[in-house]
Amino acid sequence: MEKLQVTLRRERRLKLIAVSLIILSLIVIILAVPNMLISFVLAFVMNYLISPVVDILERSRIPREYAILIPFFAAAGLIIFGIVQVLPLVSDQLALLEKQLPTYQVDFVNLIGRTETRFKTFFNLYNIHASEDLNAWLMKKTAEFSAGIPAVVSASLTVSILAPLFAFFMLQDGRQVIRSILQIVPNDYFEMALNLQHRINDQLGGFVRARFIEAAIVGMVVWIGLAIMGFPYAALLGIFAAVTNLIPYIGPIIGAVPAVIIALISEQARVVDPLSLNLFIVTSIYLLAQLIDIIFIIPFLVARIVNLHPVTVIVVIIIGAEVMGILGMVISIPVASVLKLTLSTFYDHLSKARH
Amino acid sequence: MNFIWDNIFRKAKDADLRAVLTENILFKDLASREISFLEKVVHIRTFHAGETVFRQGEVGVGMYLIMKGRVEIFVSDPLAPSEDLREIFITQLGFGDFFGELSLVEEKGRRTASAVAREESVLIGFFKPDLMEILARSPGTGVKIMFRLAEVLGRRLKETTDKVSELRSALKELRAPPPLDEYDGKASGHSSS
Repeated sequence: MEKLQVTLRRERRLKLIAVSLIILSLIVIILAVPNMLISFVLAFVMNYLISPVVDILERSRIPREYAILIPFFAAAGLIIFGIVQVLPLVSDQLALLEKQLPTYQVDFVNLIGRTETRFKTFFNLYNIHASEDLNAWLMKKTAEFSAGIPAVVSASLTVSILAPLFAFFMLQDGRQVIRSILQIVPNDYFEMALNLQHRINDQLGGFVRARFIEAAIVGMVVWIGLAIMGFPYAALLGIFAAVTNLIPYIGPIIGAVPAVIIALISEQARVVDPLSLNLFIVTSIYLLAQLIDIIFIIPFLVARIVNLHPVTVIVVIIIGAEVMGILGMVISIPVASVLKLTLSTFYDHLSKARH
Repeated sequence: MNFIWDNIFRKAKDADLRAVLTENILFKDLASREISFLEKVVHIRTFHAGETVFRQGEVGVGMYLIMKGRVEIFVSDPLAPSEDLREIFITQLGFGDFFGELSLVEEKGRRTASAVAREESVLIGFFKPDLMEILARSPGTGVKIMFRLAEVLGRRLKETTDKVSELRSALKELRAPPPLDEYDGKASGHSSS
């Protein structure tokens, strides 16, 4: 009996070390290799968006290999079609934006300057140079942005190749890889590990799909709203609002900033009063999108999946932003909910009987 | 030469796996294609003689089928007067038997007994996530398994109800006062001595 216990303990220790090493090396590779984290995050997103479609196709007796290829080709076709259709629109808008950006920049600095002058007439005590500081900051940022473009382009190319490739293999061999890792989990922890893996997969899948639908709806509302009122760059602003909506709390504000600035400047050029109708409608569209999000989408889709206290959410987002910037903010909530799930599963499985 | 032996071994193991799955009541309705799918979903786990498969009170997520070896089921009684009486032996299971199926349908269900491998055993694990996967990828197969599972659980419930009725009537008999004539007889016997 004693000998058995020693053998079991040794075996368990070896297996635990092996599993931990595999998981740790995966984490190190993802964090250390450039572009790997973002590629993996995008691959996971693609995997979770495509896997329900694969399951549906598999139910109609289509072999899994083909069931994976069909949505991949369909998505690629859709993206190409979208690019062909939307790109001229977006590139026109981008060209226009590029042409008008210096004007906007000057107008924006002027706007701040005028406000500053007005401010100074009221409070003569402080010597503020907001417009000069802002101009210098804007120049610096524009220069940085231009210098960073080649690196961004090469990183985007790497990510756009790696992410779909990873997603394809996740769908094709993901289950097998997880099974192989689970096989070396010691018997004592096997049920817990299997259950945990299943629950994480379930939760992350639900979260990604909910956030995707949420972003798409917000983007559509902004796009349609701005297009109806004939606002410039409606498509671009809609896409921007959809993408920034993925950043919790401050994302929707960031998403609205360009439209508000454009509205402010356009109005400023004509009328002095910044609270004109144009700005009011633009703000209303963004508010409407957020109201739809808060009243209909979040309670029915997102909140059911992420079971975190609002204070925890804020703390987690701050930590995410500190550690990894914008990407950190986007992934902080799912990472935190996975950690919570892991801890509660560990607790449930390792705690003693309750009866 | 090793790889040849490996291959032969694997084939034998696969054949055993298929045999056990086909013979099991839960998978009785499945077609050959569905059994092949099931083979890719279940988990094969090896246990040493004396190794615990699961402990009473632990969270259980599924059932085990015995492919090789023997497994003993115990229930522990914390109120037992001595350490020796704490473990109550329930039954011994062998090739083709299965146990722990209630966990497949329970939410955070706890094991009601402990299972210990009595010899080097190979068990097939079939767990809730596996059942979910089958239901998502092949709902028809999942429904067939669920139906059989309901049948097994129903039968177990019936057995338990019968046992409870049996115990209840035994208890009633024990509690009932002895018949009057017997009492009289005893009384007279006592007085005669």
